[in-house]
Amino acid sequence: MNGLDLHHRLEKNIGLLIFGILFVTSIGGLVQVLPSLYQKSLITPGVNTHVYEPLQLVGRDIYIREGCNTCHSQQIRPLVAEVERYGSYSRADEFVYDRPFLWGSKRTGPDLHRIGGKYSDDWHRLHLINPRDVVPRSIMPSYPWLEKRQANNDDDIVAKLSGLQRLGHPYTQDDINNAPAALEGKSEMDALIAYLQVLGTAYPEGDLSWLIYYSQEICL
Amino acid sequence: MSKKFSLFSVTRLLFDQDAVFNTLADIQLTPISVFLKIALWLGLLPPIFAYFGALEFGWRLGAIEPLYLSSDILLGVSVSYFFALLIGFISTAIVSQWMAGTYGARASLGVHFAFISVVGAPIALASVIHLYPNVFINILVFVLAILWSMFLLYRGLPIVLHTSPERGMLMASSLIGYFLVALVSLLGITVVIWSYGFGPSLGV
Amino acid sequence: MVDPAKILSVEIYSDRIVTTLVMFSIFWAIVGMLAGVYVAAELVWPALNFDNPWISFGRLRTFHTNVVVFGFAVSALMGTAYYSVQRTCHVRLFAPNLAWFTCWAWQIAILLGGLSLLAGFNTSKEYAELEWPFDIAITIVWVCFGIVFFGTIAKRRIREIYISNWFYGALIIVIAMLHIVNNLALPVTLTKSYSLYAGAQDAIVQWWYGHNAVGFLLTGGFLGMMYYFLPKQAERPIWSYRLSIVAFWAFAYSYIWAGPHHLHFNAIPEWVQNLGVVMSLILLAPSWASMVNGIMTVSTAWEKLRTDPALKFIVLALAFYGLATFEGPMMAIKSVNVISHFTDWTIGHVHSGALGWNALITFGTFYFLVPRLVGAKLYSVRLANIHFWMALMGTILYVVAMWGAGVSQGVLWLSLDEIGELRYSFTDIMAAMNPYYLLRFVAGLIFLLGALLMGFNFSMTIIGRRTIAVRPPLVTEALA
Repeated sequence: MNGLDLHHRLEKNIGLLIFGILFVTSIGGLVQVLPSLYQKSLITPGVNTHVYEPLQLVGRDIYIREGCNTCHSQQIRPLVAEVERYGSYSRADEFVYDRPFLWGSKRTGPDLHRIGGKYSDDWHRLHLINPRDVVPRSIMPSYPWLEKRQANNDDDIVAKLSGLQRLGHPYTQDDINNAPAALEGKSEMDALIAYLQVLGTAYPEGDLSWLIYYSQEICL
Repeated sequence: MSKKFSLFSVTRLLFDQDAVFNTLADIQLTPISVFLKIALWLGLLPPIFAYFGALEFGWRLGAIEPLYLSSDILLGVSVSYFFALLIGFISTAIVSQWMAGTYGARASLGVHFAFISVVGAPIALASVIHLYPNVFINILVFVLAILWSMFLLYRGLPIVLHTSPERGMLMASSLIGYFLVALVSLLGITVVIWSYGFGPSLGV
Repeated sequence: MVDPAKILSVEIYSDRIVTTLVMFSIFWAIVGMLAGVYVAAELVWPALNFDNPWISFGRLRTFHTNVVVFGFAVSALMGTAYYSVQRTCHVRLFAPNLAWFTCWAWQIAILLGGLSLLAGFNTSKEYAELEWPFDIAITIVWVCFGIVFFGTIAKRRIREIYISNWFYGALIIVIAMLHIVNNLALPVTLTKSYSLYAGAQDAIVQWWYGHNAVGFLLTGGFLGMMYYFLPKQAERPIWSYRLSIVAFWAFAYSYIWAGPHHLHFNAIPEWVQNLGVVMSLILLAPSWASMVNGIMTVSTAWEKLRTDPALKFIVLALAFYGLATFEGPMMAIKSVNVISHFTDWTIGHVHSGALGWNALITFGTFYFLVPRLVGAKLYSVRLANIHFWMALMGTILYVVAMWGAGVSQGVLWLSLDEIGELRYSFTDIMAAMNPYYLLRFVAGLIFLLGALLMGFNFSMTIIGRRTIAVRPPLVTEALA
């Protein structure tokens, strides 16, 4: 039976056709995606990689809610110019507590992976309330509502941390119980800033390449 | 009306494109004569303008300090640009002749050379803007030139190549497909050359 | 309304559902493109965000992509799939009531889903941003879509299953697989869930999904549309049936591998990236095979262009399809990607496909379909012709503006001076993009106005008319 005869059978039998489509489209996924899901190095945290504290986690969820990732990447490629502009390149072991990942696909604004610690909390506050107050030509939207909302929303944080604990993040029961207290009196602005300030601080010990190159003016 | 096709005909495109098309529809041309009389000179314009523009003003990729390249690199860029245009022109004419069979159009290579020269003329003439190599202004002028070229293509193809307006429409759309692919290939090749370190100095 | 089939007690095609889906598709096209034009304007004049969370760029942009892909494109695919599967099988839709359920449930899901994105319920995974309750709803509707579609094929009166149905079938099966795997998450509240995958693994799964959602929905699904409606309009059989078979299997096999080219130089294993490059390049062959098949089919049917404004759109759509499927593999090459990644070039590439291919072929199909569904002439062929030129101009302008912006960004971000230091600050480069963003806004506006003309044209065609009843041919081959 040649290929064409085989195909004549296929195009007369809907069951075979469905099976055929499933078969050919599964191969790629099985060979290419599945091994990565079992690759230990992609899920082993680096020495400085820690789970997000409650306030940082809330901030991260706000970052997602406002779609910051549509304009800001969190992925520094191992290229000279990128390391000079943003800092040490991104490594897989820094992201093991990121659900989902926020690497992004577009830089309308600068990359934010190593933004942590580069600017003061006050700078971020001013910038988020009205970006043009600190960067006159910025086209970023303003986020004044973040100041007016409480970070602790119906004690969601307990459910969030328990969920992440079930997914294997090393939160203790104490961490979870104390979480609402940690959010007490904090605004969404505080939470988002807490998240931004921890971003990219997990580069390996002794890697100072980003300090050598780092220049605030150029980054902005 | 003289039945001659020369560099002068190109200027007549401005006010009476149909006369140029009708002339082209009636005469026999050899590829070599079209190439030497018209295409070559039109093709030389963009690289020459680009060379002097970039030498004088630098590449202006936005409202920031322009990127200056040394004159030998610029010469290299301009010569490559010329050959890219040349390859683009000849390949488009050949593709056009190849398509002619499918769409029942005239198939002498000379007439395809001439037709593509005429259609490409607005783009070549618009390259005078390369003298001031601000990318945005260049893009603005070139978009207008491309739209004008596309108008000439759709309008002239059935007349020059002796086919029905409907088949002309199909063939013109296929040629636009080819043109877009050629354009993006040029973009891709340029970028690959840059990322291998020729041209502006990039930290990759 | 009483079903005419019951009165006549003869079998007729379920076409009212097709009319409904086509109208919804046009509605979503206009809403989605309007949102697109608005976000484009926000990038030129940030004051347009009005400090309002609901229309702030990050949320409205997500709304734009979801509404055009899942509202406009999927409604169009569902409608045309229902139309063509009945005619290629000579049989009425299987379970018409279930089909009506898919139609309405989908529209409600898009409406509420779109609003939920504006409200900030967002998973952040591109093209899979809807939160878990919507993911479940979509899965249910999608499975019902599959039951109707494959059920119709199962009771067909024609022995062979026509090629367009394979593409629609692959759309249904593969999107279901991708959607379920990629959206696996642990819900923690009604509006928040955490992905089962973390970090680099999540990135690999997400782009396996993201790339193939584009592949099997925006490429494969619309190829199904082309393989039915192009020969139909041309009144010619497809140029090479054998080529279409080969193209189909090669396409289905190779597309699924190409996702990692979205993650070049990112923190994922090198071999995964390189495999992505190779398979992306291979993908060009089956993609172009379908284009050649389409162009050659229409080339012998040129006289149809005289009377049919629809064919023009499809011909031009094929030209842009050729561009987009060439540009994609090219941008997957690492030395191009190093400059194009993260820039507006990607945005331009997506739109050469979305505007030039998906929207144009859909418009062309609708200009063919709507008059036939209601049994009337198109209200104005002249308006359709004007729409054609606006669509062409808008797309070209959009793509060229984004090429300019993208290449400038790529080069300027990476430029070093004589002593190896960065030459330009990020803000300078961003500010330099302003004129391109203005040009893109104008391009989008032209395209949107064209779509509005079409909406008006169809409203005038449909108004006061009902979908006509069409019976399957009486003499049909028995299913042996």
